[in-house]
Amino acid sequence: MSNDVFFLAEFADGQPARSALELAAGASELAGQSGGAAVALAYGPGAAEGAAGLGAAGAARAVVLGSEPGPAISYAAAAAEAVKAAEPLALLAPATPNGRDLAAALVGLLELPAFGPVRAARIEGSTLRTEQATLQGTVITVSEPADGAPQPAVVLVLANTFTPTEGGSGTAEVSEAPAAEVGAFGKARVAESHPAEAAVVNLEEATVIVAGGRGVGSEAGFEPLHELAAALGGAVGASRAAADAGWIPYQLQIGQTGKVVKPSLYIGLGISGAIQHRVGMQTAENVVAVNKDPDAPIGEFADLFVVGDLFQIVPRLTEEIKRRKG
Amino acid sequence: MKIVVCIKQVPATTAEKRYTADLRLDRASAESVINPLDEYAIEQALRLAEAGAAESVAYLSMGPDSAAEALRRALAMGGDEAHLVTDDALAGADEWATAKVLAAALDKLGPDVTLMGMASDDARGSLVPGAVAALRGLPLLSYGSELSLADGSARIRRLTATGYDMIEAPLPVVATVTDQVGEPRYASLKGIMAAKRKPLETWSLGDIGVEGGSLRGAALTRVVEAKPPEAKPPTERVENVSADEAAAKIADWLAARKLI
Repeated sequence: MSNDVFFLAEFADGQPARSALELAAGASELAGQSGGAAVALAYGPGAAEGAAGLGAAGAARAVVLGSEPGPAISYAAAAAEAVKAAEPLALLAPATPNGRDLAAALVGLLELPAFGPVRAARIEGSTLRTEQATLQGTVITVSEPADGAPQPAVVLVLANTFTPTEGGSGTAEVSEAPAAEVGAFGKARVAESHPAEAAVVNLEEATVIVAGGRGVGSEAGFEPLHELAAALGGAVGASRAAADAGWIPYQLQIGQTGKVVKPSLYIGLGISGAIQHRVGMQTAENVVAVNKDPDAPIGEFADLFVVGDLFQIVPRLTEEIKRRKG
Repeated sequence: MKIVVCIKQVPATTAEKRYTADLRLDRASAESVINPLDEYAIEQALRLAEAGAAESVAYLSMGPDSAAEALRRALAMGGDEAHLVTDDALAGADEWATAKVLAAALDKLGPDVTLMGMASDDARGSLVPGAVAALRGLPLLSYGSELSLADGSARIRRLTATGYDMIEAPLPVVATVTDQVGEPRYASLKGIMAAKRKPLETWSLGDIGVEGGSLRGAALTRVVEAKPPEAKPPTERVENVSADEAAAKIADWLAARKLI
């Protein structure tokens, strides 16, 4: 057993995902509290070349699981071997589909305690403590491993829970994962791949989100939202109603069955704020909403609620922001 | 071809929830429903059965006695039989313990496809399906926006960051589906009547060959505190102003918080 804190570091297109940089910062923070080291489990295209670079983000060491594209879960057996050999205190995983799959496989393969998705984690003494919003955000629970529970504690972490280290330096000591049989998880393979014509941003990584709902009315209606998002350096998201209507791809849906986001600023436009949407964005730090309906539920939980026509207000807001940014 | 859909009974989204003195959800206090995301898994299974791709659809749940109501409701939508694992030793079960119990029950049922919803409405960890697959040594096909079965394989369509992949694995598999598989059907009156005659079996841990002691109090985790969310300052409302004023007001608000 060790006091180290492991984290999953996903790579895509040769670069670490933002989640990898956030979790590197988080693992480094927790390892500082436990007196251990932050260790990356790096996988995906670019992992072998980029693993050492995670040192600048906070990792002391990096274990490369593999650099193939495809479902992250195919690395489950290699990750399990690496984790079993080190028995770290905790393993942080991003609360994304890939991160959850890999975390779930480790929970089953090694029979480990699981937490999350958490919005905070720390180590007090030698005990991991996590904080999670459950039951649609109506209750906050603080949890820890039971006495005598095996290590590591597997922790799903919401995006933007930790802030990536800026301007860090250093190189992580890189090693290959111990050889492992791929096992049953390796039997799932990508039979066909269909990349989209247009690139879609990863909403979970955005720090500013401009989201549109039924009130946006059409695909063209999203145009002013894209312009506002561009002015703010943010991304466009949507409610399920807008995705179901085909105005925007499902990858940009926020909510119970879409992405769970935690941006520093969320602007909801023409979104009523039904509970199914709210569970996807309620941990946003600042919530601004514009809606024609003065009784829209979002008016109950937004920080700033403007009753008005988004098509009148949004273009003016975009101009105003551009003007102030100079 | 046999499909088992795992379902969870959860408090209704709108129900008021309370915690017991030992920090567990007071499941008796709240109106309960089938986890809404599990209804999509039920719908997918029934569609496969109707298309002739599966011969039988069974349901499996772990929960208190009252979870039988959720299983009856699932049977009213369609399907053939249901199994409930209920045991006093399971109160407060975490993801690990839940996966252990479901895996043991699935060993007994031996389905070709174990189907689950993409998440539960109450905890949202989405860890049980992958852990069940790991414990049973089966491939996992997760987050499918559709599931098809052919030639001894299962195949899902899964969204990627920008497009989608078709992912395939040989049977048996564990699969999860999203809300894009199609709207779940309502139970008809005929379905509700028929469900009363369908077999619903209750199993204890002993019935599925699990020793209570091996579950270590049903959890490797413990909740040490349950508290209400932090009170937020009241919403600032802006009404009855021109669009120019509204835009300026929002910009001021953002600037005051250093967001622009």
